Amino acid sequence: MTSPICDLLGISVPVLQGGMAWISDWSLASAVSNAGGLGTVAAGNAPADYVRDQIQKTREHTNKPFAVNVMLMSPFAEEIAELLIAERVPVVVTGAGNPERFMRRWLDAGIKVVPVVPSTGVARRVEKLGATAVIAEGGESGGHIGELTTMALVPQVCDAVSIPVIAAGGIADGRGFAAALMLGAVGVQVGTRFLVANECTVHPNYKQRILAAKDIDTVSTGRRLGHPVRSLKNAFSRGFAALEYEPNTTLEQLEEYGVGALRLAAVEGDRERGCFMSGQVAGLVKREQSAAEIIADLISGAEAALKGASSWVK
Amino acid sequence: MLEKIQNVLRTHLDNETLEITAATTFEELDLDSLDLVELVMSLEDEFGIGIEVEETLVTVGDLVRLIEGLL
Repeated sequence: MTSPICDLLGISVPVLQGGMAWISDWSLASAVSNAGGLGTVAAGNAPADYVRDQIQKTREHTNKPFAVNVMLMSPFAEEIAELLIAERVPVVVTGAGNPERFMRRWLDAGIKVVPVVPSTGVARRVEKLGATAVIAEGGESGGHIGELTTMALVPQVCDAVSIPVIAAGGIADGRGFAAALMLGAVGVQVGTRFLVANECTVHPNYKQRILAAKDIDTVSTGRRLGHPVRSLKNAFSRGFAALEYEPNTTLEQLEEYGVGALRLAAVEGDRERGCFMSGQVAGLVKREQSAAEIIADLISGAEAALKGASSWVK
Repeated sequence: MLEKIQNVLRTHLDNETLEITAATTFEELDLDSLDLVELVMSLEDEFGIGIEVEETLVTVGDLVRLIEGLL
C-alpha cells in the first residue's frame, strides 16, 4: 500500500505514529521509522535539552525520516521551535494550539509542517500558511481532544482543503485504516496501539492497563478548562471529574490537580494517581508486538478490508 | 472599525441586534479559539490583509486595535 503522503514525507507506508508525551521517545520513534512509517518523538512539556537528546538518539537508531510533535501549550514551545530548525528535523507535527507563530520559520528552514487540526477553519488556516499536510484528529483519540468525531471531521476537512489529510482518532487496526481512506484521508496516525509496542519504553503498568481495557473504559475530563483530555478511568480521573463538577472549584485548582499526573502514569506506573491517557480503541488493543508487526498488521488488515469492500457494489 | 467588526460578529453569531462594545470579551460572546480562527479569516478577506492570530485577543477592542495597526 502506498499513498501521496509517502512521497511527501519520504516514508514507505502511510502510517504515522502519534506523538505521546512522556511515552513516545527515540526508542518507539526510531522503531516505527525503521519499519517504514513515520516515528514521532513527543516534546510534550519537556525542556529543549531533553528534546535535543531525543532527536540525536533517534538519529543514532534510524536513518529514515521522523517527526517531532510540538505541544504548543508547552512553556518551552519557543525554544523547541528554534531547536527543531537548528537540528533540521525532517517533519514537525503540532498539537494543542495554533502553530502560526512558528510556521513560516519552520517552512523557510525546509521542515515539513503537519499540524493536528480539530476543525475545518483551523485546517484552512494552516493550509493558507503553507502546511505540508494536516492531521484531522477526532475526539476518539487519547490525550488532548477536540469536540468532533473522526467520522464527522475527516470528510469535512478533506472538502475544506486541497493538501493531504491524515486521519487520527479511533484507528487501531486495518478496518479503521480502510475506513479513514474511504473518508478521503491518505494516511493514518495511530497512537494507542503503538503505546504497547515492544519498543515503547512506557511503564509496564501503563501497557497492562491498555491491554486490559474494554470499550467503555475511557472518559474525557477537563472540558471546563477548555482543553479536555481522554484517559482511562481510575481513581485519578474519578477525582478529576468530581472536582470538575464541584461548583466551588476554581480553574486554578482544577489545573493544579492534573499537574504531573501523566508522568506518574507513564514513568512511575502509578495506577491510582496517574493519568493514563488512551484512545477509545484501547479495547481493540490486545497484545504487545514490535512496531514492525503492528505496521504489517495495519497494512494487511486495511488491504483486506479495501479489497473486500467491492463486494457491496452490485 | 468597531462598527465593521460588530457587523461581522453579528453575522457570524446570527444575531443582528446583539450588544457588542470594545470591552465585550470573546468569552462573553461564547466564542472559543476555534471560532476566533474562523472570525479572523473572514476579517482577512473583508479587509484584504493578513492577520496573525494572537492568543492574547481577549476583547473585541483588542481585535480592533490589531486590525487598525495593520491597515
